[in-house]
Amino acid sequence: MAEASVKESTKTEDWVKLNRKPVADPGFDETVKNLTTEKIEKAVNAVLNIGKNGARFMAPLETCIHCALCSNACHWYLSHDKDPTYAPVAKVKMTLWELIKRKGKVSPEFMKQVARIVFCECNLCRRCSMYCPFGLDIAFQLGMVRRMCFILGLVPQNILDQTHSLSATLTQLWITQGDWIDTMQWQEEEVRGEIKNVRIPIDKEGAEVMWCPLGTEPKVATYHIARTAKIMNVAGIDWTVAAQDGWDSANMGMFIRDMETMQRVVRGIYDNAMRLKIKRIVLTE
Amino acid sequence: MSESASWNWDTGEKLVANINDWKKKFIDLRELTPSDDGEKIAAVVQPEKGKFTTCLTGDVWEEKFERVYSLKFKPDNQLISLTYRDYVYALAVDHEMWEETFDFIWNLTLTQDGKGIAVNIKRDPQLGAALNGQVWENLYIDARHLAVSPDGTKTASCIQIQPMKTLDIFTYQKGIWTVAVDGTPWEKKFWSIWGPVFSPDSNHVAACVRTGFAQYNIAVDGNTWEGPFGLVWEPIFKPNTNDVVAPIRTPKGTTLAMNGKPIWGYFFNAWRQIFSPDGQKLAAVVVPSFSRWTIAVDGTPWSTTFSDAVLSPVFSLNSKRVAAVVKDSKRWAVAVDGNPWTEKFDNVWDPIFSPDSNTVVAKAERNGKFYIVVDGKVSKKGYESLWNPVFSPDGKNLLLRCVDNGKYYRKVIPINEL
Repeated sequence: MAEASVKESTKTEDWVKLNRKPVADPGFDETVKNLTTEKIEKAVNAVLNIGKNGARFMAPLETCIHCALCSNACHWYLSHDKDPTYAPVAKVKMTLWELIKRKGKVSPEFMKQVARIVFCECNLCRRCSMYCPFGLDIAFQLGMVRRMCFILGLVPQNILDQTHSLSATLTQLWITQGDWIDTMQWQEEEVRGEIKNVRIPIDKEGAEVMWCPLGTEPKVATYHIARTAKIMNVAGIDWTVAAQDGWDSANMGMFIRDMETMQRVVRGIYDNAMRLKIKRIVLTE
Repeated sequence: MSESASWNWDTGEKLVANINDWKKKFIDLRELTPSDDGEKIAAVVQPEKGKFTTCLTGDVWEEKFERVYSLKFKPDNQLISLTYRDYVYALAVDHEMWEETFDFIWNLTLTQDGKGIAVNIKRDPQLGAALNGQVWENLYIDARHLAVSPDGTKTASCIQIQPMKTLDIFTYQKGIWTVAVDGTPWEKKFWSIWGPVFSPDSNHVAACVRTGFAQYNIAVDGNTWEGPFGLVWEPIFKPNTNDVVAPIRTPKGTTLAMNGKPIWGYFFNAWRQIFSPDGQKLAAVVVPSFSRWTIAVDGTPWSTTFSDAVLSPVFSLNSKRVAAVVKDSKRWAVAVDGNPWTEKFDNVWDPIFSPDSNTVVAKAERNGKFYIVVDGKVSKKGYESLWNPVFSPDGKNLLLRCVDNGKYYRKVIPINEL
């Protein structure tokens, strides 16, 4: 394990406090009030102790030579006047490195800063891996720190709410099943005014394509649905949308490492595809 | 499926409807829906601009609507449709409308015998369900997923029982979802809930629940198993019992559990479990090694695995054989007792066992045509459209419901002549 190479001070409060403009977010500010070191330790170790993750956590930490080549890959670093605290290696140092070194025994305030770093100062774009001479997967590491934060509920409010919605409804924006179908029927009627006999086939078994929009489209951007219907019809594509949950391709769980909701979203789409015997899944993005 | 013994099993073909004529007659002809016995065929049609109705084997219903959808035949050949006009939604059985009207209806669900007809309903701003025209007394903020009890007397749906302000992540974390049975909610509330299923005696309901950030469980009548688990998949009841079986994810892997206790070994994943007709065997889709799918029967996986997908297992009527749709290297086939058919297809529908359990047939698609495949052998003739075949009670003939050259036929063909 990497303990030999991370043998600096492990005092609970001995950590670098970043001097950043505050981010006001109830997902951080309110959640942190209910955290304890014990809860954090349990969450961190629940992720660190997963056998299959051990090597993937430790190998990059052991391999990294702190060359800082990753810095110039990072748009956070570049857009903050090359502030070294935004360098990918620094983000690992200030989060995962410390959590491993302290075996998860950290204060709620420390964990709040960790959450800010991994959610608000890194997009997990993986560009740093392209610059790294070893190709170290820094985004994987910071992603797993997001997982620790997720288990604690220490997640930005907006994306957590959308993931809650996906968990409860398999839609991004709390869309009822009826509203989804009604919206598809309504949009078909709207487009029919422009193109004769345009259809938005719902639950058409055997269609070539199943289109899975983002929840934002039926919720706030129905014109996207109309445009998709026009394109599909004019192009002569045999298409459909699914009536059952599992039509929304937004997968916010992936971003916050809510792996379970992430899997349920993907499974929902594939279940619909297999139920309807369609040949291709087309997603909005 | 309806009781097929009373159907006409004389071999031969019958032209039921000339769909080409329908296409000429209507502005818009939507998806065709045949009855179980093949004697009738229906579709939503648009006889005049913006007006929709149903065409049942050539007879056009004179009532017209702004929307007609979710066509479904009852086993007695009555046609159910969901309709909308003059700002109200209603359910129609043949030409009889339910007296109750709604602000939206969806999830049309029937019992096996067709006597129970249920829908989820919206009465602004609340949602719930209705069974045979009877609306739940209590309605809720949301209602999704609908289950009808086997005896056709009860409905269950997952409901949001408490309001939640926009972006209120903390109210959600208190648990605001549960199941309502006939409109009466369980006492216990959960973060999320899905997959409700009734017990064989219609008295109990089980469902998947989320109880924390990475915590899941199975709830039966609102009471959870000793848990939580890393994840769960949809539960089923063991036939003739109140025992519940569901996949649970543990640190050792995913296994099937009965009433909370593991009963199989551990896999990368397991789901879509089903009991044999006699209730003595249990089969499920499993992932025994990374990214390899197969079927396990009583915990023992087939030796053959597949790269892309395996769909729900199907037991033979004698409970001795298992078949499933499988996908390997982007091509679909059927595997029976672990042995995949040699012939591969663009699509395959669920396999169907003969009454004596010796023969397996399936509908399959190849190059845009649909075929019947019998024990892996492809029928000579392909069709434009084809629905799942039905075995005659003696197993000698197959009922085909098919469209050929724009005409819908009901065909009864000896199985050895396909």
